[in-house]
Amino acid sequence: MNAIEIRNLTKNFGEKQALKGLNMTVPVGSIYGFIGENGSGKSTTEKIICGLIHASGGSVKLYGKDHTDIDVRAGVGVLIENPGCFPNMTVWNNMMIQAFNLNIENPENEIRKVLTLVRMEGSAGNKYKNCSLGMKQRIGIAMALLGNPHLLVLDEPINGLDADGMRIMREVLVDLSKRGTTIVVSSHILGELEKIATHYGIVRGGKMIAEMTAEQLEKSCRTYILIGANKIEDTKALLMRKYLRVEQDEKGFLRVYDQTTPEEIVSYLYQHGVTVNQVKRDKIGLEEYYIDLMKGKGAN
Amino acid sequence: MEKTFSKNTFSKRLNSMLKVDTRRLFISPFFYIMVGIALVVPILILVMTTMMDGTVSTNPQTGAETVMHGFDYVWQILGSVSATGGSEQAGMSMDIVSMCNINMMYFAVGVLVCVFVCDDFRSGYAKNLFTVRAKKTDYVISKTIVSSIGGGLMILAFVLGSIIGGGASGLSFKMVGFNAFTLICSIISKVLLVPIFVSIFLTMSVIGKQKSWLAICLSLGIGMFLFMVISIASPLDATIIHIILCCAGSVGFAFGMGAISNAILKKTSLV
Repeated sequence: MNAIEIRNLTKNFGEKQALKGLNMTVPVGSIYGFIGENGSGKSTTEKIICGLIHASGGSVKLYGKDHTDIDVRAGVGVLIENPGCFPNMTVWNNMMIQAFNLNIENPENEIRKVLTLVRMEGSAGNKYKNCSLGMKQRIGIAMALLGNPHLLVLDEPINGLDADGMRIMREVLVDLSKRGTTIVVSSHILGELEKIATHYGIVRGGKMIAEMTAEQLEKSCRTYILIGANKIEDTKALLMRKYLRVEQDEKGFLRVYDQTTPEEIVSYLYQHGVTVNQVKRDKIGLEEYYIDLMKGKGAN
Repeated sequence: MEKTFSKNTFSKRLNSMLKVDTRRLFISPFFYIMVGIALVVPILILVMTTMMDGTVSTNPQTGAETVMHGFDYVWQILGSVSATGGSEQAGMSMDIVSMCNINMMYFAVGVLVCVFVCDDFRSGYAKNLFTVRAKKTDYVISKTIVSSIGGGLMILAFVLGSIIGGGASGLSFKMVGFNAFTLICSIISKVLLVPIFVSIFLTMSVIGKQKSWLAICLSLGIGMFLFMVISIASPLDATIIHIILCCAGSVGFAFGMGAISNAILKKTSLV
């Protein structure tokens, strides 16, 4: 069964069509990386899933039931845009309100548990407005985790987090996923997303342009041989005589995308008097794959 | 494998929503500020109008003299006896005694409700709330009940302030044309009128959402039309009938306006 199944979702804001028949399938227990440019329709989709805005057309099913079903929705945790806390209240009181909202039986214990999980147990007595951006983001995550939700919808959860905060977040999300929680997470920090996501959905202009598992992405991502040499322009010209796809990256290294081996390239360059100072087999990451896809290059 | 979900019954949902709103209201400093205002305002009104009573002011251009009239007795600040009728009823004429009375508190209740409800949307809390609550009915019911309790407490604070102010200003506590029982009936009727206003203010607040200024303007504008009702529905010589009528009116309004608020929440975006 799928945790989320969206078919032909459309949303119009006046004249502007934000979603143009978006389809999305999120399997149960997956960490679904939801990627797209600003204004591509990610947040709109997430808000529709959470019932915060109404779709103009199409269907949204959560665990096989309509997304307006009260019982299904009671188990959805959300962090969209901001944690939704009252600034003049303490972190504890904000958490308490959400715990009451979720009808949690032993709220104090549950709040302590989630605050400890995001390493915020010492800040429960602070007023929310006095918390830093990173702390607020962690509080938002803690709030979304209250009540042990079966589905988490997180919009840019790692914004404002420091390196340690990102690591904690990663650990928390992976742990939740192992326990069966489905997580939809949108982020512009693709390097971080790549470390945890099991599935990806790439949206552009209100349409899903690619949906794949992490394994499929791994296979789709082009492998290449990275070459570092002194006279880079001459070396590139030399390589282009023998290989079809040679590109120079932004760091000044050459990438050979053809089916070959590092040994063969080094040998070829050596024969032509070029000294190679670095060579390794590598592959493009999610970020580059995404940029290629957005540029219309796609993967091979 | 089909996933099973625990059933959220209406009573369970309403109970948790009431807990949320009660906590929200009673830990909010704004509520205590409003209750404080409700307590202090009648003291100031009674003391100041008693001090100014009989003062003559002369218009320098026309030479016309105006004599300031204060309250004759404390309970006038809460209303008037229905038998006196028309212009002497609180809120029905334009002199200071008729303008500065308990009716003002219904404006203050409007401000309280609008800030209370709009804060949900302004802080982003509405996202957390409505994600886990697909039904808006429990939200509307809970907000109406808790805001009415808050508003009722403000009215009672005003009554208490009036008694303190009466004592401080040395005004008479005499009861002319009514007695202690009818006075209590009148106060109960005034408290029971609060849900009528609250349900209107709640509807205006869900229209305004994040814009509390819009909600307050709409609430005060529309609430103004109902101010006449207060003095008629809860005179100082009120009886059980007045209580019943106020109660019925409140229930009717709460259902009617609640249905409108519910429909607005269902049909519009919540963020």
